[in-house]
Amino acid sequence: MRIKLLALMVSAVAFIATSAHAGHHGAKSAVVPEITQTAVLTGLENPWDVALLDDGTMFYTEKCKGVSVRMPNGDVHALYGMKDSSGYDSMGGDLHCSNQAGMLGLAIDPDFAKNRRIYVASASTMYHGNGCKTNFERCDGNIVMRLEVSDDFKSVANRMDIVKDIQFKPFESNHPFGGNGAHNGNRPTFGPDGALWITTGDRHRGVCPQSPTLMCGKVLRIDTNGNAHPDNNPPKGFDKRVYTYGHRNVQGIAFRSDGAVFTAEHGPWHNDELTMLVNGGNGGWDPQQNVGGRGDCPDEYCGYMPNQKKGVIPAIRAAFMPMSDTRFPDLMPPAWQNNGYSQGTGSIDFLQGKQWGMYEGRAVVGIMGIAFGGTPAGMRLDVYDIKKDGQSIKSVIHLPVEAKRYRGVTMGPDGALYANTDEGEIYKITAK
Amino acid sequence: MKSLFAGIFTLLFSFNAGSAIGGDAAAGEARYGVNCFICHGQKGKGMASYPKLAGKPVPYIVDKLETYRAGTRIGPNSDLMIMNAEPLTDEEIANLAAYLSSVKSN
Repeated sequence: MRIKLLALMVSAVAFIATSAHAGHHGAKSAVVPEITQTAVLTGLENPWDVALLDDGTMFYTEKCKGVSVRMPNGDVHALYGMKDSSGYDSMGGDLHCSNQAGMLGLAIDPDFAKNRRIYVASASTMYHGNGCKTNFERCDGNIVMRLEVSDDFKSVANRMDIVKDIQFKPFESNHPFGGNGAHNGNRPTFGPDGALWITTGDRHRGVCPQSPTLMCGKVLRIDTNGNAHPDNNPPKGFDKRVYTYGHRNVQGIAFRSDGAVFTAEHGPWHNDELTMLVNGGNGGWDPQQNVGGRGDCPDEYCGYMPNQKKGVIPAIRAAFMPMSDTRFPDLMPPAWQNNGYSQGTGSIDFLQGKQWGMYEGRAVVGIMGIAFGGTPAGMRLDVYDIKKDGQSIKSVIHLPVEAKRYRGVTMGPDGALYANTDEGEIYKITAK
Repeated sequence: MKSLFAGIFTLLFSFNAGSAIGGDAAAGEARYGVNCFICHGQKGKGMASYPKLAGKPVPYIVDKLETYRAGTRIGPNSDLMIMNAEPLTDEEIANLAAYLSSVKSN
């Protein structure tokens, strides 16, 4: 009798717990979805970002060419090209590409049906002024443009540069991957708040991420005219457009269904990270020389130290030059770090819809990954079950897709995931 | 006399190109598939900030790989290439050059 009573009590507690869980988070599927991968476009040159309208109209950028749109019937219109590009309806002679830099991210205005606006991030010579003579000047060389698309989707007009002062690396430096144009971030996206969020990179300059006035190494939250969001809460003295600071190279940003915003950040030779952002928070990246126990560094940038020319055990690098330095009281700790490795997190989005089964609501991240110095290659899409509090993950799995350098991942209006690769493809990845 | 010069030129060129002469393209393709493709893309098409190699002449590929193998910096990604070229044998360089030069550049 006591055993039966005990069993009944246990069952009741379990039922209550289950009900409470389901009531709070919704019923969780245990189905592992069947994944299919189909190429939508091939033969592109470094497609960097994709954004879709509800009818499947797909805008995409190519890093050294420009922005184009693929219509639902498959027709492609080359809209706005870069310097020396051809075949585009119009072009910006100030837009250029070099190494990692070029025409990168894009976003569609939530009110596109009325205002026809898209937003494109690119390297530009327009605002260099006298500030690009050396690597140790501000060099405003990354911008965000607002463009208006014609009704027939064959041209754009009324370019307005809404952000003109994201810094750019003008010259090669004494670092691994040391070419000019390094670390631009440049992934714009709209949040559920209707604001435009812009990610940037440290452009290989030590002072950038912790600087209150330089826009390199930041996440910005602005309106579509480029003005700061009124609720941004950066530290005193910071530019009011700053939502978070202390970043290295944020190439991915996405919003979970509860509104929480996460970044995917590319580590140096250690520790790619996924981080839940906090308004005014610090990502903890500070590659300045002569701080944090470090001395002088090559070209005043400690980002690849120590012994930057050779393989070093990642834990030693991480201790010397942490991605998330705990000496900052306003540090946003990562939800995930890549087991000490840097394999190149390209972008992030959240899987939406019942068709994704047990992966519904989880984060999908492109891991680009080159293999050297003992680090295995990336070339995969990973799916993360991030805990509600954003401080850790429950699990990570590899999505069964081809091994590619997945630069971008974007949820489509049809419930499919669109993934663009550095190899030149845009894939549609479906689940059922 | 003309043919003598041509013969000497061919000999010198062969010497400079070193082990590339007679490289095995199939073996080069297999070696390329070990890790080169991760940066330079399938069939040497190039991607991201890593250059296109498809269709480059044999002497070009051989010269670059031998330079990197010797530890000489010749560009912003030299540290990566030096690390990857150091273990290559003459035969592997010849094979890689034979393969990459045979791939159409478009």
